[in-house]
Amino acid sequence: MTERLRRIDILLIAGAFLLLLPFLKFQRTTDYIIFCVFVLSFDLIYGYMGRLSFGHMLFLGSGAYSVTLFAEHVSPNPFLSVLFAIVAAAAVGALLGPVVVRTTGAAFALINLAFNQVGHFLVLIAFARYTGGEDGMSAVFSKTGFLDFQDKRVLFGFCLACLLLTCWGMKRLTRSPFGILLRMIKENETRVKFLGYDTFRYKWAAYAISAGVAGFSGALSILNYGYVTPSFIDTNRNVEVIFASLIGGAGSIYGSLVGGVVFMAISNYLPTYIPRWEMFLGFGLLLLVFRFRMGIWGALSALEAFRPRREGEGG
Amino acid sequence: MPEEIILETRGVTKRFDGFAAVSGVNYRLREGESAGIIGPNGAGKTTFFNLLTGMFPPTEGTVLYRGADITRIPAHGRVGRGIVRTFQLVSVFDSLTVRENLVLALIRAGKEHAVSARFFLEDAWSGNLPDLSAGALGTVGLREKALWKTSELSYGDKRKLEIALALCLRPSVLLLDEPFAGLSDVEIVEVLELIHRVRKDFTLVIIEHKISRIVDLVSRLSVMHEGKLIAEGEPAEVLADPLVRQVYWGRP
Ligand SMILES: Nc1ncnc2c1ncn2[C@@H]1O[C@H](COP(=O)(O)OP(=O)(O)O)[C@@H](O)[C@H]1O
Ligand SMILES: [Mg+2]
Repeated sequence: MTERLRRIDILLIAGAFLLLLPFLKFQRTTDYIIFCVFVLSFDLIYGYMGRLSFGHMLFLGSGAYSVTLFAEHVSPNPFLSVLFAIVAAAAVGALLGPVVVRTTGAAFALINLAFNQVGHFLVLIAFARYTGGEDGMSAVFSKTGFLDFQDKRVLFGFCLACLLLTCWGMKRLTRSPFGILLRMIKENETRVKFLGYDTFRYKWAAYAISAGVAGFSGALSILNYGYVTPSFIDTNRNVEVIFASLIGGAGSIYGSLVGGVVFMAISNYLPTYIPRWEMFLGFGLLLLVFRFRMGIWGALSALEAFRPRREGEGG
Repeated sequence: MPEEIILETRGVTKRFDGFAAVSGVNYRLREGESAGIIGPNGAGKTTFFNLLTGMFPPTEGTVLYRGADITRIPAHGRVGRGIVRTFQLVSVFDSLTVRENLVLALIRAGKEHAVSARFFLEDAWSGNLPDLSAGALGTVGLREKALWKTSELSYGDKRKLEIALALCLRPSVLLLDEPFAGLSDVEIVEVLELIHRVRKDFTLVIIEHKISRIVDLVSRLSVMHEGKLIAEGEPAEVLADPLVRQVYWGRP
């Protein structure tokens, strides 16, 4: 992407999702948008910081349950509920961070998975009285002013605005010195310590931020569906976001968006044409890991003839 | 005027599974001097640097900086005190652009603290960092390559970048671990000239196993062998030492 286009990227992203509308229903498109927020949150710790988690659904789930419980017990105001969900998910991330971010590689992936499983157990069984257990519970939000989120068009607009806000925030974060620090940690954490940085603190911060954004996407999902179930915190669904990130290209905001949309399209349409589509997903994953690590966005950027040397993106 | 001891070790030992890579080393570095450490491969020089810079704590002994015990202070804390190093195998960030490599070092050495909102949210290139990084790259002759991907640099250029990185941290003690290893003859001359040019600003310790390269550079030479410091003194003196000659050339 040339520098000029890059400067209006937020507009271009908005335009791209509006173009999806004729092909999909409002609710479906909103779904795509929300999933992209989730992929962005994952990309901060995977693509930029270089830590692969098998348990990111924990934070999506934390957001989903927080927004529902807040709406039920404190205030049905959707804005307050979503805000609370972000803070709650970030708090869960901040709480687990000190244990989790000390590890790398397989240990990092599996500790996340373990915590995700604990979270799943908590909502499914231990706190079933409050969460509705396997059945889940419905979430009811009030109208606020002229905004009625029961109207799928209004919700679409709101979620799109949320995605754009997330993109903007991620862009700020990843182009800042902090973003450079995360990419350095990905490449050689020991060396970063010899630049005088206590890497632990920054990894912790990145983890909590990522958790908060994942919670944001969880909360928006509940606005869209009006119902929370343990599937929102199901460990089996972690593969979705990993796959999306790999398809699009990790370590890039644009890559995350492409990955989110393409993955959603595949998982929506492939099952209608191919039975046992998960098997093809598996082969696709193998192909991505072994032959196509840069993902769709990575491949596209490599093709650009007059590509300026890019700063501010990992990969 | 008594010369101040800036860095000192007292009986430091590092054992790996019982094998003593560094063994009971007492070392003193005077402020402002340029010192060399030589010794054959496997003598424990790099391990000794690791102990000085906080890569890991010693098994026994203490490390002092300006008289204060820093044995348990981690690497990043020592950098904050001005103890800066480079690595035997060049260690820069290949996936970043050349100037991106310098950003964090410049911020660390600057007034601004790294927990401010600016650190997290402001474009790294919006302030004075473009100028500062250009200046630092100019010092080592890499100004034109500021926007290159670091992976595209030659090994010699990466070495210069690593030295620029160290200089950006404004060291009070700079420890260079075999800065000439793997360089061509031309590059060796360039890096030597560079070190000569900047070394007045700080105390310097340089590891090298080819003695000839550093005799003009340092005023004091220490020799390590099998984890121990076996000789110390002015370069000419040390090179005349029978024990050193035995270790290096197999004859006194
Ligand atoms: N992390 C480590 N674990 C085990 N052994 C090590 C480690 N680091 C160094 N050694 C051993 O310690 C000895 C000294 O190594 P080193 O300090 O690298 O020597 P030099 O830099 O003088 O060539 C070598 O025998 C090396 O194999
Ligand atoms: Mg060595």
